[in-house]
Amino acid sequence: MKPTVYAPCVEYELAQPQLRLEHRIDGQLWAVKEDHERTVSVRRCFPWSEPARFVSLRDKDDKEVALIRQPESLDEASREVLERALVEAGFVLHIVQIYEVEEEVEIRTWKVETMQGPRTFQTRLDDWPRELPGGGLLIRDVAGDLYHIADRDALDDKSKRLLWAFAD
Amino acid sequence: MTTQINNRDQEIVSRYTDQPGRLPADLRAEIEASWGNQPVQLYALADLDASMRLADHWVALGPDHVAVARPKASGGWDVYSFDRARIRQVRNAPGLSGSVLSFLGTADEPALAVLRYTHRQRRAMENIRFVLREQLEGRAVESDDSDVEYAESVAGPIKEAQALVAGNRMAVIWRLLGYLKPYRRRVYVGMSAAAMITLVSLVPPYLAGYLIDRVVRPVQDGTLTVGAGATVAWIAVTAMALVYLVRQASAMVRLRMMSVLGEFVARDLRRELYEHLQTLSLSFFSRKKTGSLITRVSSDTDRLWEFLAFGVVDVSLSAVMLIGLGTVLISLDWKLGLIMTIPVPVFCWMIFLHGDRISRLFLRAWRKWSRVTDVLSDTIPGMRVVKAFNQEDREKARFNDRNVDVTGEINRIHYTWTTFWPALMLAVHATTVAVWVFAVPRLLGSTLSAGVFVSFLLYTTMFIAPIEIIGQMARTMNRATSSAHRVFEVLDTEPEIVDAPDPVRLEPVHGRVTFDNVTFGYDGVRQVIRGMSFDVAPGDMIGLVGPSGGGKTTVVNLIARFYDVTGGVIRIDGIDIRLIDTGHYRRQIGMVLQDPYLFHGTVLENIRYGLPQAKLEEVVDAANAANAHDFICRLSHGYDTVVGERGQTLSGGERQRVSIARAILHDPRILILDEATSSVDTETERNIQEALDRLISGRTVFAIAHRLSTLRRASRLLVVKNGRIVELGTHSELLAKPDGVYRRLYDMQRELQVGA
Repeated sequence: MKPTVYAPCVEYELAQPQLRLEHRIDGQLWAVKEDHERTVSVRRCFPWSEPARFVSLRDKDDKEVALIRQPESLDEASREVLERALVEAGFVLHIVQIYEVEEEVEIRTWKVETMQGPRTFQTRLDDWPRELPGGGLLIRDVAGDLYHIADRDALDDKSKRLLWAFAD
Repeated sequence: MTTQINNRDQEIVSRYTDQPGRLPADLRAEIEASWGNQPVQLYALADLDASMRLADHWVALGPDHVAVARPKASGGWDVYSFDRARIRQVRNAPGLSGSVLSFLGTADEPALAVLRYTHRQRRAMENIRFVLREQLEGRAVESDDSDVEYAESVAGPIKEAQALVAGNRMAVIWRLLGYLKPYRRRVYVGMSAAAMITLVSLVPPYLAGYLIDRVVRPVQDGTLTVGAGATVAWIAVTAMALVYLVRQASAMVRLRMMSVLGEFVARDLRRELYEHLQTLSLSFFSRKKTGSLITRVSSDTDRLWEFLAFGVVDVSLSAVMLIGLGTVLISLDWKLGLIMTIPVPVFCWMIFLHGDRISRLFLRAWRKWSRVTDVLSDTIPGMRVVKAFNQEDREKARFNDRNVDVTGEINRIHYTWTTFWPALMLAVHATTVAVWVFAVPRLLGSTLSAGVFVSFLLYTTMFIAPIEIIGQMARTMNRATSSAHRVFEVLDTEPEIVDAPDPVRLEPVHGRVTFDNVTFGYDGVRQVIRGMSFDVAPGDMIGLVGPSGGGKTTVVNLIARFYDVTGGVIRIDGIDIRLIDTGHYRRQIGMVLQDPYLFHGTVLENIRYGLPQAKLEEVVDAANAANAHDFICRLSHGYDTVVGERGQTLSGGERQRVSIARAILHDPRILILDEATSSVDTETERNIQEALDRLISGRTVFAIAHRLSTLRRASRLLVVKNGRIVELGTHSELLAKPDGVYRRLYDMQRELQVGA
C-alpha cells in the first residue's frame, strides 16, 4: 500500500512516514517533514464516499502539498491533530428535526433543529436535496451552507412527512 | 436610497435568517467606548463557536482596532480588542460549510483571533479579510456604512435567489389590480355581466318549481283551467328562454371584456417591464439569469392575464354564488336549506386539503422530472463523449430508470385526483340523498310542495362549480402572486445609472478621456479599480494590458458608463461623465468585443443596428472597410442573409467583421476594442486587424488585448494590475524596463511563439 503520493510542489514535498502534523500556539496547523515546515489546511478528497481516507494538505494559496491516503499511517499525535482539523474543515450542519418547510416565490424556507442549534435557511425551488453515496441526504442553501440528514428514519413523524416530497 | 436598501436588507435578514439584522446597539456602544469613541467601520457575525456550535460572536473593525465579542452567560458581552497594527497575517481556511479566519501576530504569540463561521457570513467576513489584507499591503480601505455592508452581505444570496423578498401577498394583489384602473369601464361591464350570469342562473330552478306548484298541479287538480294554465306555462317557458338568452349574452360580454382586458393589462405589464429592463444597469443583468428574465416578460405576464381575466371574477362571483344559493335555499325551506348548506364549508376545506396533498405530489413529480431532464441536458450536448466512451447502454438504462420513476410518481397523482373527485361528488350526492331522506316524508305528508322540492334539487346541482373554484382559490392566488412578485421585482429595481437633472450634451464629442483618482468596486468594500489616473488626448490609441482579473474590462466599462465610479471622477472632454447625457454620449461610443453579438435578422439589419437610416452605399462602404463585403456577397442572400440567434450561421471571424462594419457605420468618437481578435485564427486575425486599423483612425481608442502584437499601433500602453496602473508608456519604453510587468509578458509570449 502506498500511503502518500508526492504532490506537484516545486518548493519541497511532504511525504510519510516522516510527515508530522502539529497544532501550534499560533492556532495554525503545521506540516513538518524533517527540517521543512509550513502551515497547511486540510481537505477531504471524498467527503461523502470515503471520508476517512485521502486527505489533501494545502498551502496558503490552496495548492496541494501532500496527499494523505491513510491517516492511520501517521503517528498518533499527528493523527489526533488531523482529526481535529478535519472537524473544522468537514463541518456541516446536521439536521435532527424539521419544523417547517414553507414555499415562497422562487425559494423554500426551512426551519430546522440541527445538532449545532436551531437554524432557518433557504433553498432555491429547483434545488433538490442530494442523495449521498454513503446514505443520507445533503441540502445546500442559497448561501452555500450544507445540511446533512444522516438517517431519515430516525427523524420524527412530522419531519419525515415534511421531507417526504424531497426524498425517495 | 441607501437607507431604504439597508432597511430592506435588514428586513430580509430578520425575516429569513435567525440572526440579528445589525450589530447590537449595546455592543457597538461598548466597543466604540473601549476604542476611545472611534467608530465601528465594518463588522461580521462569527456564527460558530470553538466547538462548532451555532453562536452569536461578533468581529468588528475600527480605524485602529479589531474587537471580538462573545455573549456572556450572565448577559452583556465579553469584548476583546487589539490593535490592527499587531496583525501580521490574515489566514482563511475554507471548509465544506464553515470556514476559519485567523488574525495572526508574530510567530511566537498565539493567534490574535480565530473566527469560525458558516458560509452565510462569508461575504461579510471576506469584506473584513479584504480590508485587513489591504492594510498589510499599506493601503487603507474605508467602508461606506457598516450596517449596510453587513445586511447586504447576509441578504445578498437570498436576494439573488428570490425575485422579491419580504413582499406582502395582499399588497401585491392590490398593486396588480391597480393595473385595471385605465380599463375601469371594461371592468364594470365585465363584472356586471358576470353578476348578471350569477343572478339569472338562479331563475330557471325557481321557474321550474313555480310551474309545478302554480300551473301543473293546479291544472291536474282541476283548480286551474287548461287554457289559463297553458298561458302561464308559455309565459314561464318564454321567460326561461329569455333568461338563457340573457345568461349567454352576459357570458359572451363577460368573457370578451375580461379576456381582452386581461390581455391589455398583460400588454401594459410587458411593455413596462421591457422598457424598464432597457434602463437597468449591466450589474442587474449579471445578477439575473437570461431565462428567468424572459420568463417574467412572457409566461409570468401570461399567467397574470389568466388571473385578471378569469381568476378575479371567478373567485369573487363564486363566493357571491355560494352566499346567494345558501340564502335562496334557506328561504325556500330553511330545514332542507341547512342540510344542504352546512356541509359546503367542509367541502371547500376538503378541496383545500386535497390541493395541499396534490401540491406535495407535484413537488415529488417535479423533482423526478428534473432528474429526467438532467439526463437529457447531460447527454444530448455530450453525445460525442457518450459515443466515444461507448456508454450508450448505460445512458439508456439511466434514462429508463428515471423515466419509469417519474411515470410512477405522476400516476400516483392520477390515482389521487381520480379518487378524490368522485369521492367528493359522492359526498355532495350524499347531501342530496340526505335532502331526499328528510324531504320524502314531508312530500308525502304534503308539508313540502313538489315545486319547491324540484327547485331545491336544481339549486343543489349549482353548488359544485363554486365550491371547486373557492377550494382552488389558494392555489390561484399563489400562482398569481408568484408571477406578480417576479414582474414587480424587475419594475422595482432602480437603474444605477441615472442622468443628472440637466445633462450636458457634448456636441461634438472630441474624445478626451481623463481618469482622476478613480476608484470603483462592484460592492461597497472591495475595490476593483484603485486610485487610477490618466489622461488620453482625442485620437490617441491606448492599449490596456495586464493579467486577467486586473481591471482592464472594468476600465472600459467605466468609460462607457455602464457603472458609476465609487471615488474620483472620469471626465469626457473635461466634463464629469455623470453630468453628461448618457444616451447621447453612448451613441458616440463604439464597441467591438471578443464575442461579437449579432441579433436575429439580416446582415444588413445588423450592420445598420446603430444607424437604421444609413444608406446602402454607406453600409457597403463600412462592410468594405471591415473586410466583410466580400464574404457577405458570397452568402446566397448577400446582405439580406438572415443570421441566426447570436449570429450562429456565421463563423467567429465573419461575425467579428460584421460587428466591425457596424462600429464603422456608427462612426463613434471613442472606440473600445475588447479582445477583438483573440478567438480567431492567424489569417482571420490579419483580416480583422486590417479592418481595425481602418476603424481606429481619427478616434480615441481603448484596446484590450492579450496578444501584445495587436497593440503595435498604440500610442501608449497602460499596464493594469490589481486595479492599478503599474506601468505606462510606449511599447519601446516599457520594453526597456528589464523587470517590468510588460517586459515579462512580452518575453513570455515570444517564448511561446518560438516554442510553437
